[in-house]
Amino acid sequence: MTLPLIEKYRAGSLKDIKGQDTVISDIRTFLKTFPKKRALILSGPVGTGKTSMALAFAKDDECELFELNASDLRNRSKLEAVLAPAIKQKSLFNKKKLILMDEADGITTSDRGGLPELIALIEKTSFPIIITANDIWKRKFSLLRKKCKIIAVKELKDDVIFNILKEVCLKENHQKDDKTLQLIVKNSKGDMRAALNDLQTLLELGNDAFIEEFYEREKEESIFDALKTVFQDPTDPKITRIYDSTKMDLNEIALWVEENIPSEYSGSALAKAYISLSTADIFRGRIYRQQYWRFMVYQNFFLSAGISCATKLKYKKFRQYKRPSRILKIWLANQKNAKKKSIVAKYAKACHMSKKKAMKNSFLLPLIINKETEDKLNLEERERDYLLDKRGAIIIASQLNKFRI
Amino acid sequence: MASQNEIWTEKYRPQKFEDLVGQDDIVKKVQSLTKALNIPHLLFAGPAGTGKSTLALIIVREMFGVHWKENYLELNASDERGIDVVRQKVKDFARTKALGNVPFKVIFLDEADALTKEAQQALRRTMENYTSTCRFVMSCNYSSKIIDPLQSRCAIFRFKLLEEKDVAKRIRFIAEKENLTISEDTVIALYEASEGDCRRVINLLQASASITPSITKELVNTLVSSAKPGDIKIVLEYALSGDFLKAKEKLLEVMLKESIAGTDIIKSIQREVWNLQIDDELKVRLTEKTGEIEFRLVEGSDEFIQLEALLAAFVLAGKGIIK
Repeated sequence: MTLPLIEKYRAGSLKDIKGQDTVISDIRTFLKTFPKKRALILSGPVGTGKTSMALAFAKDDECELFELNASDLRNRSKLEAVLAPAIKQKSLFNKKKLILMDEADGITTSDRGGLPELIALIEKTSFPIIITANDIWKRKFSLLRKKCKIIAVKELKDDVIFNILKEVCLKENHQKDDKTLQLIVKNSKGDMRAALNDLQTLLELGNDAFIEEFYEREKEESIFDALKTVFQDPTDPKITRIYDSTKMDLNEIALWVEENIPSEYSGSALAKAYISLSTADIFRGRIYRQQYWRFMVYQNFFLSAGISCATKLKYKKFRQYKRPSRILKIWLANQKNAKKKSIVAKYAKACHMSKKKAMKNSFLLPLIINKETEDKLNLEERERDYLLDKRGAIIIASQLNKFRI
Repeated sequence: MASQNEIWTEKYRPQKFEDLVGQDDIVKKVQSLTKALNIPHLLFAGPAGTGKSTLALIIVREMFGVHWKENYLELNASDERGIDVVRQKVKDFARTKALGNVPFKVIFLDEADALTKEAQQALRRTMENYTSTCRFVMSCNYSSKIIDPLQSRCAIFRFKLLEEKDVAKRIRFIAEKENLTISEDTVIALYEASEGDCRRVINLLQASASITPSITKELVNTLVSSAKPGDIKIVLEYALSGDFLKAKEKLLEVMLKESIAGTDIIKSIQREVWNLQIDDELKVRLTEKTGEIEFRLVEGSDEFIQLEALLAAFVLAGKGIIK
């Protein structure tokens, strides 16, 4: 692999950009109605396709592209010298022109006067300007915001990233199983660039067994040692500081403790250990609600010494501690429940109730939503299939057949 | 099969003040406020399915007529509970003028008790600043979860749990419209299953009608019992038999499969304990433990950890060594 995947598979044209349809149509409207608004800000997290979209528009509309990014100095005199001519001149071959001011967050204090100059130029430009930024709501952009149309670009949906990864694997002639790809997706948190970079590393390592450890390896070694002391050596005088050497925060540590308590303790020790874990969690809840961070002392205490003194017995067995499985299970279940959730969301809106409340009462939904209602709620094909399945399942499971006439 | 073109909770949602059952005093007061085209900020407190959202919808329809949709914003605080909602959606809507001849718009904040304290604080000033262009109607289950400054800005109406005769009236009305045959004891069964929640009654009625138009008590009960999976009982039995790991796994499975919240799980545990085949004295101790854990669950942040702690206590009880 010579070219990094992220460049090799950068969307060349608009049709290659997935999962940002509304943003694309908003950009199109902006370009069509130019110069009603002269500049557009694409604001959103990294790896969502902001730059790709701008580039793709330039390509598809056959515009000449004039790009300035964070690697360029962007102070007042530079902008005046470079950008000012660009917004006036006609393109060399009489083509349309698009100005891209990439990575506006990178206009820093060293780019003295850059932002005011940019604002001044926006008022004069004869070509559309697209500005990309991760967080346009910073105070320093407040004047710029007033001059621009703002489009929020959201994180990519998991299934969008998943499908792209799948396609790339296919093109690269590498088979990766779905579970591996799902882990990459989960870890990317909606960042396409991160996902592709991780995939590249994995392809280069070429070892599937590695995947689960891929993200967490270093962290895990440190928690193993800490858990060993907590579970096996209650007399360690440094017990309350045992987690200091790990690279995890207490919330993650709590998950590790939770996963491993049942194989360490039984009977009254099990119950005692869980009460300590439960108490630690209460302090965590209080930290969140009251933002009183000193409670972390107690959270830490109950996770370490509290757990440790659940029993006086010392074990000397070697143990391989298990990685927390609950978060992954929750995530997988959420993937499964996605269809139900989208149906419930539509139903809740039509019936003036919250999604939460609708979810609570969702059991009878397959019987309540019928063909005509499906149309009215604008359900998608896959959502209808889901309801059909469930309808059958409810009728079989609850022996409702005997009531049918 | 009965004709089913709509979701009945919407189809039979009362459209006029007169149609609303069971809240006569409130309706009378709110109706006269609405007639004067000048409602104060309102706070509707009361159990689910007693007509809070319905009354809010009736108010805006009566006041704004055909323009009601333009002048009305409905926000579900339990879905969007952060301060951002107040700062953005609420403010954006509140600051523009109303269409038509009523001088203000209406924002309905459903389940306002789910709003964070910060969001409620942010609402204080918003409610005052935009009083001339916007009135707030809030609904909640418990008014105690609404901060005092907000309560003091609202006229508070407390909705009663619907009585059997009111719900029965509604059931018979729908049954007649939909050509259903339904006996007296079926009506009672529907009411009992619903715990006075009219929305639940109508959903249950529609689900039953999708099976057959002659609805029997048995059909209703079958539907109700299948809606409450007996899985929790299995979880508890695993725990009492001493198999903590199995109990824990089953519990997680139940919660994830139907995305049930921990607060709902602990409610069914509390109900289920009394039905277990164990000594009565033990039931009392386990219920005490359940209450203790429910308290911890409300205070804490990770519901599953708290439930596990409860299961561990059940394991201990199963071995007869709980104090």
